[in-house]
Amino acid sequence: MSVSVREALGAFKPAAIAVGIALAAYIAGWVAYEVFFPGTAPVQPIEFSHVIHAGDYQIDCQYCHIYAARSTTAGVPAVEKCMGCHKVIATDKPEIQKLTDYWNSRQAIPWIKVHDLADFVYFSHKRHVQAEVACQTCHGEVQTMARIERVAPLSMKWCVGCHEEREVENGRDCWTCHK
Amino acid sequence: MARKKNPGSKLSRREFLALVGTGTSVMAGAGFLTAKFSRRPVEQLIPYVVPPEDYIPGVAAYYNTVCNLCPAGCGITVRIREGRAKKIEGNPAHPVSQGGTCALGQSGLQVLYNPDRLQTPVTRRGERGTGDFHTVGWNSALTTVASHLDKLRLANRGAGVGLLTGDIRGHLDDLLIQFLGLMGSGRYLQYAFTNPTNLYSANAASFDTAQLPYYDIANSDFLLSFGADFLGMWVSPVSYSRAYGDFRQGRREGEDKGPRRQRGQLVQIEPRMSLTGANADIWVPAVPGTEGALALGIAHIIAGGAGRFAAALAEFDPPRVAEISGVEASTIERLARSFGDAKAPLAIGGGGAAAGTNGVPNLVAINLLNHLAGNIGREGGVVFNPKPAFGRTGMQRHGSYLDLLAFVEEIADVDDGVLIIAGTNPLYDFPGDERLVRALQRIPLVVGLSSFMDETMQYADIVLPVNSYLEGWGDDAPEPGVGMRVASISQPVVAPLYDTMDVGDVFIRLAQRMDRDMQRAMPWPDFHAYLRNAWRRMYDKRRDKLDYVDFDAFWTAVLEAGVWGETRRASQRNEFHAQVDYEPPVHAGNDVDYPWYFQPFVSQGFFDGRGANLPWQQELPDPMTSIVYGSWIELNPRTANELGVDEGDILEVSSPAGSLRAPVWITQGIRPDTVAMPIGQGHTSFGRYATGRGANPLSILSAQVDSRTGAFAWGATRVNLTPTGERIRFVKTGGWSRTLDRQILGPRSGETQEGGDHG
Repeated sequence: MSVSVREALGAFKPAAIAVGIALAAYIAGWVAYEVFFPGTAPVQPIEFSHVIHAGDYQIDCQYCHIYAARSTTAGVPAVEKCMGCHKVIATDKPEIQKLTDYWNSRQAIPWIKVHDLADFVYFSHKRHVQAEVACQTCHGEVQTMARIERVAPLSMKWCVGCHEEREVENGRDCWTCHK
Repeated sequence: MARKKNPGSKLSRREFLALVGTGTSVMAGAGFLTAKFSRRPVEQLIPYVVPPEDYIPGVAAYYNTVCNLCPAGCGITVRIREGRAKKIEGNPAHPVSQGGTCALGQSGLQVLYNPDRLQTPVTRRGERGTGDFHTVGWNSALTTVASHLDKLRLANRGAGVGLLTGDIRGHLDDLLIQFLGLMGSGRYLQYAFTNPTNLYSANAASFDTAQLPYYDIANSDFLLSFGADFLGMWVSPVSYSRAYGDFRQGRREGEDKGPRRQRGQLVQIEPRMSLTGANADIWVPAVPGTEGALALGIAHIIAGGAGRFAAALAEFDPPRVAEISGVEASTIERLARSFGDAKAPLAIGGGGAAAGTNGVPNLVAINLLNHLAGNIGREGGVVFNPKPAFGRTGMQRHGSYLDLLAFVEEIADVDDGVLIIAGTNPLYDFPGDERLVRALQRIPLVVGLSSFMDETMQYADIVLPVNSYLEGWGDDAPEPGVGMRVASISQPVVAPLYDTMDVGDVFIRLAQRMDRDMQRAMPWPDFHAYLRNAWRRMYDKRRDKLDYVDFDAFWTAVLEAGVWGETRRASQRNEFHAQVDYEPPVHAGNDVDYPWYFQPFVSQGFFDGRGANLPWQQELPDPMTSIVYGSWIELNPRTANELGVDEGDILEVSSPAGSLRAPVWITQGIRPDTVAMPIGQGHTSFGRYATGRGANPLSILSAQVDSRTGAFAWGATRVNLTPTGERIRFVKTGGWSRTLDRQILGPRSGETQEGGDHG
């Protein structure tokens, strides 16, 4: 007795549809997470606003991020730096009071890192700052961000794109970043 | 998809839809959660509360200082990140190290960050030697010691205070002399069994020089080394290793000083093949202790019956020397001819040749070869060093083993004697000698200054934790020098990790707690100030010749460079003053009950045992056996056959002084009548990495001393070997001593391979 291929395969049709739906649901769930919880603008321990500091008051980036031109890391301002002004400025605001609590107990503020590269990538702020790459190029228009948000993909493709465009010397060599 | 698919299926449409709905939700949820948990975990950015003033995060700083792990005094450069020491390398500007380090030097980081560092002062609670200590404050500890010393001093009994240290050079030595002088005591002894006491003595007797000479290996073309493992751990291994490179290449690295001279030839004479022996062109296993006869045999041929020494050398004809040393007469003649024909021959001696009861006469005989070769003061030869830039020479500072015994016993005989011990561990070096322990037990107050609770510190009443060399100040005039004056500065590369201070600080603070006269005599706030003061005096004396605006500029320059030198050289006179004779070696134990010569050897990993608490050194495969983390005893295959043992079988090794157990390693690089063991393991107290590991060959050595200097003769004991029936498997990274026809060693050009195993 012979059976056609179509008929034989037909027995699997329900199972195949079920798997197809399951897969679609799985992917939909994944995408939902990425869309609704992208993690690009995490809530910080203190609602520090760059709009006020970098925007309204036009404080230079390197006033707080003091190592940017000198080291691989730009540095996050020490609690003492904040207190320099906030010992007297806006001391009635609840966020400032949070800050003062940290200072009084000599505790570091545990900021959430927004711009993070993989551990196998070597990135030097000093190189980029001294090459006169504006902070906004990679970090976006920080002075308009009430809460810091990552607006650049920080992918290798994105980095290499700029290195190609600016024809960075030794900037397209694997070893430069993957030391 | 609204319809039932399978005819005969029992699901209703409602059930079916419910199933699909549930399944979809579950899968969506699964996708959602997978996305959530596969995301890279969030990192925190922790700022400083108060930013550091002395470093930039992410930027390394480099500080020059001096390694303190052996007496060579190599200058090192340490890379620091965020106040932490990350890597040690040699200081390229330092004439001793010239940018190099040895394995032990590299492990300095593990000295600094060792988890067993003493962090606070402790005082003894239980009996001495039981390890029962409890923590006290510095104030309390210093006051206790100071009041004890003060009482003695004011009663004119300060002579009962003694100071026993390791090798201390530089201005710290001066400070200690001053302190003891103020106490009215002259009792200050520097002891380490590896001190080249015999070498100093032989050079003083032969050439009337008080310093160790500079052996210009780099420019020699024929190096005759009697037991000196200069690529391993003899005297100044980094300097010699570098020189060895030049020696082999026939010119100095990076220089084009004319045509290449003849590539150097190395002959190593020793009963057990060391790392240097493995690099030699010819390895000559002479009977242990007979190196002096061999040297005189070579001298006999070179002198050719003429000259001042003809009479003295007459009896050392090749057949006689062959009988004494076990080296064939033809070999002796060949060596003598090569030495005599070479353009820049050089003879050096050390290791077992210097560690017998006849160490000094052996070394004198070796010196005679240099005298006859006329290489004194010449390139590739023996270059005398000028007086050090400051401080006493080794010969003035070091005591022999007999001195040590007398020293400790004298203090024990005094009522209220005080013994201060810093930087030396004689109870490990020679734990078998009852006299030392008994004398120590009789001394009422023993104060220890150390970074670790080692065997000797276990017998202290108060132990004061001191800075490691990477945390403290100091200076050094290295010995041997490099033919000219060198002065090095040791500066802290990190802030002290614990509540510790420099040895110098301890004594200054003790003085501050004693009577007014002591305080006035030692007015400096700390040892750093004392050091600066001493260097200011040096600067003032030479101000006109130095091109610096003021002392601060000079001091900064010296700190940045890590080293300072003067081109002043010593006069080089080829005058030989010593008597020429051969003294046969005396070994403890007769050759019937104790058939084998016992040759312990220092390794670059552990040196005299101080490197055993550094895991990197434990992990470092021994260069000759590749064994890690353990002890072994090296046997010739004939010996192994005789005993019926194989690799890993545990032997009981017994001498007239004691016994130990060690597993067998078989090598052709040792005489059949000799066995050898590495020194450094077998600690009974030295932290978690070293304690209870392996066996200590020093513990079964008899109390033999050199006949001239009283230095500990660690190559003068014989042993018996008994299989125990137990065995272990070595942990090793390679170490197959036989080629097994694998054609690893090809024929050298112009030679045909002999075929078969070469071993």
